[in-house]
Amino acid sequence: MKKSLGEKVFDVFNVLLMVFLCVIMIYPYINQLAIALNDGTDTMMGGITIYPRKLTWVNFEAILTSKSIWKAAGVTAASAICSTVLILVTCVGAAYAMTKKQMPLRSFFIWFLMIPSYISAGIIPTFILYRYLHLLNSWWVYVLPGAFVFYNTIIIRTYLSSLPTALEEAAYIEGANEIQILYKIILPLCKPILATIALWSVVAAWNSWTPTLYYVNDSNLYTLQYVVMQLIKQSEAISKMTTEAMMTGTDMTHVKPTSEAIKSAAIICSTLPIILSYPFLQRYFVQGVTIGAVKD
Amino acid sequence: MNNLAKKLDQPTHGTYWKDLGRRFSRYKFMYVLILPAVLCALIFQYLPMGGLIMAFQDYDIIGGIGKSPFTGLANFKEILSMPKFLGAIKNTLVYSSVTIFLGTPFPIALAILFNELKQQKLKKIVQTVSYLPHFISWISVIGMFYAMFSINGTFNDIMAAIFGSGYERKNILCDPDSFLSIIFWSGQWKNIGWNSVVYLAAIAGIDPTMYEAAKVDGCNRLKQVFYITIPSIMPTIVICFIMGMSSLVNSNFEQVYGFQNVYTQEATEVINTLTYRQGILNGDYSMATAFGMMQGVVSFLLVVVSNAVVKKGTGMGIW
Repeated sequence: MKKSLGEKVFDVFNVLLMVFLCVIMIYPYINQLAIALNDGTDTMMGGITIYPRKLTWVNFEAILTSKSIWKAAGVTAASAICSTVLILVTCVGAAYAMTKKQMPLRSFFIWFLMIPSYISAGIIPTFILYRYLHLLNSWWVYVLPGAFVFYNTIIIRTYLSSLPTALEEAAYIEGANEIQILYKIILPLCKPILATIALWSVVAAWNSWTPTLYYVNDSNLYTLQYVVMQLIKQSEAISKMTTEAMMTGTDMTHVKPTSEAIKSAAIICSTLPIILSYPFLQRYFVQGVTIGAVKD
Repeated sequence: MNNLAKKLDQPTHGTYWKDLGRRFSRYKFMYVLILPAVLCALIFQYLPMGGLIMAFQDYDIIGGIGKSPFTGLANFKEILSMPKFLGAIKNTLVYSSVTIFLGTPFPIALAILFNELKQQKLKKIVQTVSYLPHFISWISVIGMFYAMFSINGTFNDIMAAIFGSGYERKNILCDPDSFLSIIFWSGQWKNIGWNSVVYLAAIAGIDPTMYEAAKVDGCNRLKQVFYITIPSIMPTIVICFIMGMSSLVNSNFEQVYGFQNVYTQEATEVINTLTYRQGILNGDYSMATAFGMMQGVVSFLLVVVSNAVVKKGTGMGIW
């Protein structure tokens, strides 16, 4: 069928729009990278776009030699690994049990686990509870409270119920118990969905900073993004001080003017693991949503 | 062996209790498997609900819930009389309703445009690029926005190039009046791609013969979008909308707290940020709990009511 003029115009417009979207999505990263690689004082003159004007590595050096950054990266990595393992164990267990239609009390458990995703107590009662449980100022606050995620459980369950039941029945008849069936038959079949859940959990833990804000004062337990948050808030405060100083004529030379550049270096360093691995793992990231959509 | 399995599997003989016992013993491992999830929900999700009692008390930090005096609805009355809290409620409603009502069509439109794109390679690239910001933490995104919108940043450079030397450079992130647009557009920038995934999956599930039939009937592509694509993905749109309704009284804490600064904080406080500041920073646990509880109850009611309304109107719903 021949394309009408309107369709041709639309196709061209659509391509242009997509290119524009790409530019808008990518530009801030490139801009950030350019600022991070540029001399801090020079950046304040403005006009940095996608390449550094005065190339320097000092900003990255400052970040990569900072003990607090490495400590935060360690805390974050440890909590990402532990919380991911815990999430997989609790969610796979719950999801597998949910697929057993004959199991007594099954619907009670499903309701019990589902209700909190619609009603929650809010942060203050949670805060008070954590104080009783000694989770305040403890590394465990990053791992334990988030160990069960209802949404992930539903996605795994949906995936499990798409598997053929004949295999399970056969193994049961051969005398395997439910645990053996789960480990030897079910788990090997659901590697793709486990990869998805694992990636989501790792990214969520890597990006998390609000638990630190709410529950942690100990600077040895800061997460990476919390440190980035502090740098951002500080550089805001410094820029306010500088502007006020310019108006009142106070000498501000003692304030390090490179905070903007260091902040950019911190953002680049802390997001780099995700940005570099994401394009190769995109398939796994996306497929969970598709499974969730099918269920709905 | 086969007979035994058949006997075990089919609850035909025996009394109800006998059958129940048989099912219990067959699935006893399942209780072990579901136990960690149940414990987690019980301790970290149900147990805090007991703390909601604080909303009706004048909470005493030393005595705890057991020894704090009850004050009835005093906390709620105080909240509804204080401008600080009312302002936060108003801000929350304004930011969220704009995000939900104006924001919903964007990812749907993007999914449709993706679907209409003939260049497969370009489509792959744009999809990959547009999903990426979803996986970057809000605070890093906010850092990038600060660099983009700073006085010497790209945004002001572009505006100066368009409006010439008469343009006065300013940082819109320090202007409380721009906060709504910042929240809206930064939310779109971060999530438009990722939110389109679910619609794209729904579009992929449409039977291609419907389009064939429409073509034969002389529908052009625009008509196909309005008469086939959109009606076919309506169930997905409705479900996403109902789920979104719960956030009408909720804000994204990371986003709002991150964008707030000394210039904008007072005028842009929302329920979530005020609960945090009132409760955790100022230690006014009772008021903050009451405030959070009002939010939680309204948000739950919104899901229930919008689900009921949509179900009555269209027969679709989440339960």
